[in-house]
Amino acid sequence: MAEAIQKKLQSELEKYQQMQKDVSKSMSARQKLEAQVTENNIVKEELDLLDTQNTVYKLIGPVLVKQDLEEAKATVAKRLEYINGEIQRYETLLKDMEKKSDQHREVLSSLQQEYQRAQGLAVGKA
Amino acid sequence: MAERNKRNIEVPQGVDRLRVEHKKVVQGCEGQIQHWEMVKGDYEALEDRLKTLPDQVSYDIMVPFGPLAFMPGKLVHTNEITVLLGDNWFAKCSAKQAQKLVEHRKKHVNSALDDLHKTRKNFEARVGFTEDLEKLSGAKGDYVEIREEVGSIEEIVSKGKQRVALKPHSKPKMEAVVKIEEEEEVDEEGGGEGDGGSRRGVLSEEELWARLDELEVLEEQEEERHRRFDSADTNGNGNDDTTSSSSEEEKEGDSGSHHRVNGHDERSKGRTSVPHNGDQLNGTAQSTRDGEEEEGNCLPTIYFSHTVEPKKVRINTGKNTMLKFSELKEQKQQAKRKKKNGTSNGHSHHGLHNITTPTDLYRLFVDVKNGEPIPRKSILKSRSRESSVCSDTSESSAADFEERRTFGRTLSHDENTYSDTSDGITEEDSPTGVPLHPTSRFQAFSGTVVEKEPIPSSIPQFTIALQALPTIPERKLEEVAPEAPQEAPKRVSKFKAARLQQK
Repeated sequence: MAEAIQKKLQSELEKYQQMQKDVSKSMSARQKLEAQVTENNIVKEELDLLDTQNTVYKLIGPVLVKQDLEEAKATVAKRLEYINGEIQRYETLLKDMEKKSDQHREVLSSLQQEYQRAQGLAVGKA
Repeated sequence: MAERNKRNIEVPQGVDRLRVEHKKVVQGCEGQIQHWEMVKGDYEALEDRLKTLPDQVSYDIMVPFGPLAFMPGKLVHTNEITVLLGDNWFAKCSAKQAQKLVEHRKKHVNSALDDLHKTRKNFEARVGFTEDLEKLSGAKGDYVEIREEVGSIEEIVSKGKQRVALKPHSKPKMEAVVKIEEEEEVDEEGGGEGDGGSRRGVLSEEELWARLDELEVLEEQEEERHRRFDSADTNGNGNDDTTSSSSEEEKEGDSGSHHRVNGHDERSKGRTSVPHNGDQLNGTAQSTRDGEEEEGNCLPTIYFSHTVEPKKVRINTGKNTMLKFSELKEQKQQAKRKKKNGTSNGHSHHGLHNITTPTDLYRLFVDVKNGEPIPRKSILKSRSRESSVCSDTSESSAADFEERRTFGRTLSHDENTYSDTSDGITEEDSPTGVPLHPTSRFQAFSGTVVEKEPIPSSIPQFTIALQALPTIPERKLEEVAPEAPQEAPKRVSKFKAARLQQK
């Protein structure tokens, strides 16, 4: 009985750890996105500071490609929107994962209790 | 003391960890701050360079050629600066425009720096708080925590019979105590550091929460106490219209719901169907217990306490048999009953004139109603309706049954003779569905019967009441069974036992 519980405990523990890893991955991805958002915001603001006289280049690989200021602004704005959308998606994903991990945690704790009880019983018997 | 020490030991452990974490955050903040300061310095240098660059058309410089070599060269187009805007975007601008961009970036850096500074400050403060808490809990330093255990109040609560004269605000006592403690702690904490208010708040907060929890528990106890006493106090008031209705239901159905402790129930139950009885009981339940007992002795008053306790039925069948089901009372009454058994007639008029509470009136009333003094016996007696009332007694009666049995035994000899008369009387009594059954065990108490005149002669009263015992159980069983199937079986056993004993 105790062994069965132990095995269950182990499997649950692994599942829980997996969940935690997923959660942390999502979190880091989200953080990256956050950084990109800030960066793009700065770019947008600086583009606003410039005027059409300045040429704007975009770095595509090793090449600097000339871009129109307006076009650049539009592109940056679109990118910003996209990143925000991604962040939202990741947030919902994160929430779900958190819930699942909580459930797992509960299961784990209950299993642990059972295991301890079984251990206690075994000790008592022995 | 042991608990306190334990708590002190536990608190520092948690506090230690907290402090460590706080310090980590503070250090992280400091690292970040340094980084941003560097960036800021770079930007300032850049700005300077940008300012001077357009001064000349071209500069002679030593151009770095890989990591180890330099080459003489010229810096041309001094006003054309390609700025990296971020995210692979570049812009060619003049030196001045570049300057503007740099300024804009510096703003950013400064705001980040400010945030970091603030966080660091906060966490430094928190570290300070936790240190103080540690000191306090560890009783080191100048701080001494004064804690006052409030165990005494809890003891009082548990005693049960508390003669609290309807004081709805007896809480302040405890609150005051608690407040004093809090103040003391707060004062101590506040004395230590300069932050004062915020720190105090943090330190005392933790303790306040613990105290709040304690207070909550105490308040709940107080409430219960109040409820108990309130119910008892309101006996005479008959204020429980709502409760009465509920009590009716209870009476019919529920013997189990009678719990002596809650005056609520007592009141509610006794109210509707057996107003006087309930009142009597309630009145007796509280401070008038003594009075009731005396009265019971003299008059065959049936005290009904159908309220919470099913067994609160008090049947005063003239034989000094005050069957009070209140647990506290019962013990007293038993003793008294035993004493009084022999003096049944002597005190007959005592109760009549001993009106201490409104409920007493009812008692009188009840006794006077019937030609015979045993109005309440109906429950026990063969009255069909009463059997339903008796059903209540299943629970309470079970407990009381044992007590009654002894009583019944003592009284049985007289009862038999009057069984006939009692039967007639009992039927008249309206079965109020009160848990009079339990009382009926020993006496023909018809707890429900409310409107009966006090039996002038005590003897016939209790004899009748007693008579009811043997007879009623049978009827009760029959009647009760259909009405209260759940309780019937219990009652049967009890009454049967009583009967057997009487035999």
